[in-house]
Amino acid sequence: MAMFDKHKSSKQTATAADEPRVSTPAPPAQSAAATASQSKVAMIGQGISITGDVKAESSLKIEGRVEGRSVQCTGELEVAEAGHVKANIIGKVVRISGDVSGDIGGSDKVVITKSGRVQGNIIAPRVQLDDGALFRGSIDMNPAQSAKADKAAAVNQPVAKPAASGYDSKSAVAQKTGESSSAKTDSARKEPSLNLKSG
Amino acid sequence: MSSVARKIESPTGWLRPGPIVSRQPSKLLPALFRRADVNQRLTVLEIGPALHETVEFFSQFRCRLHFVDLFQESFVREQQTSLSEKDLRQAFKEQLRFQAGTQIDICLLWDFLCYLDDRALRAFNAALRPWLHPGTKTHGFGVHHLAIRLENIQYGIIDKETLSIRKRRSEQLPCFPHSQIEMHEMMNCFAFERGLLLPEGKLEMLLKQRD
Repeated sequence: MAMFDKHKSSKQTATAADEPRVSTPAPPAQSAAATASQSKVAMIGQGISITGDVKAESSLKIEGRVEGRSVQCTGELEVAEAGHVKANIIGKVVRISGDVSGDIGGSDKVVITKSGRVQGNIIAPRVQLDDGALFRGSIDMNPAQSAKADKAAAVNQPVAKPAASGYDSKSAVAQKTGESSSAKTDSARKEPSLNLKSG
Repeated sequence: MSSVARKIESPTGWLRPGPIVSRQPSKLLPALFRRADVNQRLTVLEIGPALHETVEFFSQFRCRLHFVDLFQESFVREQQTSLSEKDLRQAFKEQLRFQAGTQIDICLLWDFLCYLDDRALRAFNAALRPWLHPGTKTHGFGVHHLAIRLENIQYGIIDKETLSIRKRRSEQLPCFPHSQIEMHEMMNCFAFERGLLLPEGKLEMLLKQRD
């Protein structure tokens, strides 16, 4: 039974999130146009509580509770205002509007919005703390790394792998928790691990 | 968990910062950044809370910012009633625990020293000392005369010459203003570098690490 919805539209309502989300993936017969118009975001809805590690090969939005060693996604990771995460978080762009207790690594950027509350360490080229946000811990920033990535993106060239100085956010955060970021190692660990695939 | 940690309560309520109510120019703040090379990583210890404008300001530097917000810690509020100097030193050490090899380049104390009694000041000094190096620069506020009434405010950095002022939402800590001589004796990890008299009896201070 699939526990996680695909985020089909931007109109996810609070009332719909009262019950745990249970839905089947979109049927493969959908037209390419319809598929392209849907945002590929995996969702952990309100009322869903996960104990273990989460890994998403897409963007991920958390409105429920996650407690484990890590929550990883390859795209944008959002902890919504109702979300609670007690784990390390790794994503490309990480946006926190809920409660997080753990370290956060963003390969592009980390944003803590005005309703966000974070206790942990953040490693990212850019970090934005909105007015009203709560944060306790350390923040590691490197604007040069961010500028290099922006320039590379602009000319559509691959970015050189960052040196192991702490700005390879994924390995830096993983190193702190003593875990490897490889999928093979993830599957060998005893803790349950949820792999969310898009498409 | 250590016996001291058990004795220390967790902060009672983590309050969101209030809005900026005013800006304060600073003639001493620029000295903290005079030698700051944008390519060299700055390690900053912020004794106050993490504020939007402070993070925004430091985003121009390659940096590691440590936000410890000691103003919110209940052991600071209860320093006189239930904790010995040894307990206070342990409590400060727990809060000022960083990765091995950390060396603080810039220390932002704001008016925190005015809220520590003699024992707490010595304890804080002992806990902070291991993380300093000869090039550490520290900014803080003291008092020019002991009868002044301190405002319950928190500071942030808008730019190299401008501080933000916000009203602190938590109840003001008990005040223990110290003379410069007392400060020099008890905070012996620092030497006074420059001072500036401000209105209402306040003193803006630039400190350096004492040999």
